[in-house]
Amino acid sequence: MTIDLRTAGQLVDACAAAIVLLGVGLAATRSIGRAIWLVALQSALTGVAAISVGLATGAGHLVIGGLLAVGAKGVVVPFVLGSILRRSPVRQERHPLLGRHASLVAAVAIVFVASAAANGAFVGASVAAGRGLPAAIATVLTGLLIIMTRRKALSLVVGLLVFENGIALTAFALTYGMPFVVELGVLFDLLIAVVVAWVYARRMLDVLGSTSTDELRSLRG
Amino acid sequence: MTELLAALIVVAPTAAGALAWFADDRRAGRLAALGFVTALAAGLLLAARVFVEGPLGAFGGLVVVDALGAYVLALVLVVATVALAGSPGHLAHERAAGRLRPNDTGRYYALLLWFATALAVVPLLDNLGLLWVGIEATTIVSALLVGFARTPTAIEAAWKYLILGSIGIGFALLGTLLLYASSVGGLGEMSDALAWTRLTELAPRLDPGLARLAFIFALAGYGTKAGLVPFHFWLPDAHSQAPSPISSLLSGAALAVALYALARFHLITVATLGPAFSSTLLVVFGLLSLATALPFIVAQGDLKRLLAYSSIEHLGLATLALGFGGHLALLGLTLHLFSHGLAKSTVFLAAGRLVAERGSRRIGRLGGSLARSPADGRALVVAALALSGLPPSGIFVAEIAILLGGVQAGWGLAAGAAAAILALAVAGLLFHVIRVSVGPPGRPAEGPPASHRWALLLGVPLTVVVVAGLWTPSPLAAALNQVVLVLGGGRG
Repeated sequence: MTIDLRTAGQLVDACAAAIVLLGVGLAATRSIGRAIWLVALQSALTGVAAISVGLATGAGHLVIGGLLAVGAKGVVVPFVLGSILRRSPVRQERHPLLGRHASLVAAVAIVFVASAAANGAFVGASVAAGRGLPAAIATVLTGLLIIMTRRKALSLVVGLLVFENGIALTAFALTYGMPFVVELGVLFDLLIAVVVAWVYARRMLDVLGSTSTDELRSLRG
Repeated sequence: MTELLAALIVVAPTAAGALAWFADDRRAGRLAALGFVTALAAGLLLAARVFVEGPLGAFGGLVVVDALGAYVLALVLVVATVALAGSPGHLAHERAAGRLRPNDTGRYYALLLWFATALAVVPLLDNLGLLWVGIEATTIVSALLVGFARTPTAIEAAWKYLILGSIGIGFALLGTLLLYASSVGGLGEMSDALAWTRLTELAPRLDPGLARLAFIFALAGYGTKAGLVPFHFWLPDAHSQAPSPISSLLSGAALAVALYALARFHLITVATLGPAFSSTLLVVFGLLSLATALPFIVAQGDLKRLLAYSSIEHLGLATLALGFGGHLALLGLTLHLFSHGLAKSTVFLAAGRLVAERGSRRIGRLGGSLARSPADGRALVVAALALSGLPPSGIFVAEIAILLGGVQAGWGLAAGAAAAILALAVAGLLFHVIRVSVGPPGRPAEGPPASHRWALLLGVPLTVVVVAGLWTPSPLAAALNQVVLVLGGGRG
């Protein structure tokens, strides 16, 4: 199956826009269950963008890498996170450091800052920085925003995944992805990291009775 | 031959770890030893061949080992030997205290071997992308080891390590991407565009703007793994909460491997932009780490945290040396990495045993250790003297070389500030160690006295550290010079 370059370009643009919108939604939502499905969808879209360019340019490794990303980040990871959520007594981000409205404003501000930064930083660069770059920077920053303002262990993992999606999109915008072995390695590391996070979230539930990182404040100095 | 050796370094301990995971307690230790000794022999042979024959490649350019890579490989394997040798004692104590669950022994050895393997793979790879994958793998595996004790504080330390480590290392991936983009723009897409050998050759043609950004992200990313201030917050928790042999490996080898990754980026950046940009950043962050570690060393109340902050201080010094550049400072850096790795890994074992005997990490409760646990007390005192940079030790010679090298290279002010901080840190570290060794007796100790094997395990590495300050055999000096040549931007 092949598609022409113009269609692929439109698909990538649509994916990038949807990824940014999902990022804003992720920053605003308090339900951890919803956050898991939103980030799964966002991850899957980074894979779809890679697949569509792969089909247009005939680069088979992009198609395979994209399919693996959809499978790993869009299906396996949310399944693992969902299994922690079902054991957890609290399924809401109750007291985030930023409220819903403030998070929404911050996320929208990030999108504008990212567009300006992408236009500014890469003007002199000889690389034809792709259209996805503002979306990529916005997604990286949204991930950091979620990590900085949330307290539940699962929300931090979701933030980390958003951050990772931003990096994947950056790779794609700058160079149409990394060499295939590197992509595979990065994906493998991500999966193992999520499994280790799962192990520790379970231990937190067993030992501390909660997955709130407020319980993790005893080590100082 | 190179292919076989490289494969053995990876496959033997990985497979032995997988077998140990399922083995019973008695067999797990033997399997781990067997797998690791195979890797150790292969790794040291490979390193020796590199120093005699020059850089070696294998697997179609995937693996390239130059003098710097060989040196870091040897360092990782030697420190891992100390950690592995110290593990039976640690596990025996945990078992006696009833803190081990069924199968924990096998899992401990499996994770230890995989951690060591991931560390050993990094200096073999000629691909900055795979180098990143390797370093991220070390974070993930060691996160499982940091929280091995399953206590609330261990879980806290492991969680912080996993999350902060993953964010930090994410920045390193962005840096790697930007460097890749800086080469693709000028050269087109190539499969080897991430090879540091190739990037160093083509460095003058890389896009300077992207290369500059790439180094900043790599500094934040690998700087997190190397414990540079202000990215260090996970380090004192992880290094103090981990089982002591794992603390040895984290402080002695994992920090050096992160610095190795940073050095590869630094060399490419210097070849692209000239020395001023990345050297200045390294000097600034090195000094910042030294200065920040100092008050935490002086006011420390926890023995293992004291050692962790000492690691931040020493990695700050090593980063400073990399920034200074020049033959003398780089020679100091090379000697420093090995001496610090050996001294710190050994002192963590001794501290771990003292802490286990007394059931407390508090320095005030560990007093009188020299009389009560002579082997560990002596090791602590000798290592603390060496880590303070007092003669005779390899660290003393290294520190003098780094500071003089800094002055020679025109960084007089930075070298002077570093010397002042190091002098103050001597007082801080020695004060605490005197309290632990001959201070008023704290809690009563439990458990049998240290065996002769344990005393030997602590004595041998520390003797090497002390002798390294007095005498360097000429083949070793030649090897050190080859490493310095690579660090100076040449081909070794």
